Amino acid sequence: MTSALKISHLTKLYRRGTLAVDDLSLEVAPGDFFGFLGPNGAGKSTTIHCITGIATPTSGTIEIFGVDAVKRYRDARRLIGMSPQEFNVDTFAKVYDIIDWMGGYFGMKAPERRVRVNMLIEKFDLEAHAKKQFRDLSGGLKRRVILARSLVHDPQLLILDEPTAGVDVELRRDLWRYLQELNKEGKTIFLTSHYLEEIERLCQTIAIIYEGKIVKHGPKKEFTDEPGGIEAAYLRATGAEPDHAEAPVT
Amino acid sequence: MSEGSAVNEVGPLVNWVGLWTIVRREWSRLMRVPVQAFIAPWISALLFIFIFGFVVGGRIAHIGGHRYLEFVLPGILMMNIVNASFLQSSSQIYFSRFLRYVEESLVSPLSYAEMIAGVLSVVIARSVITAIGILIIASLFGVTSIQSIWEFLYWVISVSVVFGLLGIIIGLWANNFEQLTILNVFFITPLSFIGGVFNTVNMLPGWMHWMAYVNPFFYFINGLRYAMIGFNEANQWFGVGVTVALAVVMAVTVWRLFSIGYGLRE
Repeated sequence: MTSALKISHLTKLYRRGTLAVDDLSLEVAPGDFFGFLGPNGAGKSTTIHCITGIATPTSGTIEIFGVDAVKRYRDARRLIGMSPQEFNVDTFAKVYDIIDWMGGYFGMKAPERRVRVNMLIEKFDLEAHAKKQFRDLSGGLKRRVILARSLVHDPQLLILDEPTAGVDVELRRDLWRYLQELNKEGKTIFLTSHYLEEIERLCQTIAIIYEGKIVKHGPKKEFTDEPGGIEAAYLRATGAEPDHAEAPVT
Repeated sequence: MSEGSAVNEVGPLVNWVGLWTIVRREWSRLMRVPVQAFIAPWISALLFIFIFGFVVGGRIAHIGGHRYLEFVLPGILMMNIVNASFLQSSSQIYFSRFLRYVEESLVSPLSYAEMIAGVLSVVIARSVITAIGILIIASLFGVTSIQSIWEFLYWVISVSVVFGLLGIIIGLWANNFEQLTILNVFFITPLSFIGGVFNTVNMLPGWMHWMAYVNPFFYFINGLRYAMIGFNEANQWFGVGVTVALAVVMAVTVWRLFSIGYGLRE
């Protein structure tokens, strides 16, 4: 079976000399809900940036459903939807346009875009805000727009970099429900989060990255079955002492 | 996914919808600042035409059989085309980096060629609209001459492409607003002024003639002037060669910068 995501020996060395990802290999099965954990600066976002084309890998290969993400980048990117940690948006643009333009970049023609954008605007409860500028929205609404944008071209692999950071409990639960629906429909989801509760609730497989390397990887049960549960497993894998250290997550 | 189906799906050779989206999107950004984009250069051109062409020019003898206003208009036009092209592409690239929405195109199935073509399409559109506005203003002062529309279009479009490409390079390089304006202040404005906007080469002191001939702006202005009123001070083909050479050098540089991800990718 072709993996939804296959990373082989990925290394990313920044020009200033920082080794952000160090010979990382990883596979995500189609239809999986995959949790990618790690402390700040561990290399989560860099790995995601290499997968999506925001960063250029120094070495190694990345395949999306068997398509090389560098050599056949156009075909690979059609399969990925990306919701970044930071808002990378023209803040003066209107909500509808932000989602519509993204569909355009992915080659979707106007009638198809219109249907899809309207569906997403309704799904994420953005009807009242569609004509507003992004900068005029609250943090939670901004997060919804970013998620809607990442889904406009109906990607098979959805990469979410801390999608619920800074959103209220209600929206977080709505988003969880929506992500679970998407996963049930067959979408593969690659999620990074600092909320262990979120990872535990949503994911089937978990990997922990620490100092650019995968230090623990397996089905969720392997983590939850450890003494102290997922939090203790996380702390042990990242070199902290579960008994003495404060939980690094909220 | 129906497993494996997407693997074999190959997108179109050219992502025309994506390219058109770059144009639509940038046009929308431009329309948020119409005063800055169009009204300001038209007012500036109006003042130049009125003061230098009409008021001062009325006291200056004809040059090569042409009224001073007719002589000076192509220079004013070229100065505005250069500015419009450079500002358009440099700000488009810089702001997309500054606000990080450049990442939207980086994660999309857009090729470098499509991204560059998208930027240049808006550059040309802005330059042509700026030029049309200035021609309309000039017509109010009785100056409407265009002897060769094809040569006129060649100079407008080729110079727009050269400075559009230069703007992309600066937009990729700049890390703050100060750096974004450096080239305009120290290079583009001085060279366009001494490139013959207001004077012929013969009006300059003899020791300064060489400065005109090594200044590419001189060939741009001379080319446009020839297309409009038939006044010529240099070999036209040499001028064409200068623009083509500059466009090729800039295009190769931009292509290289995009392919290594300079200023774009981490």
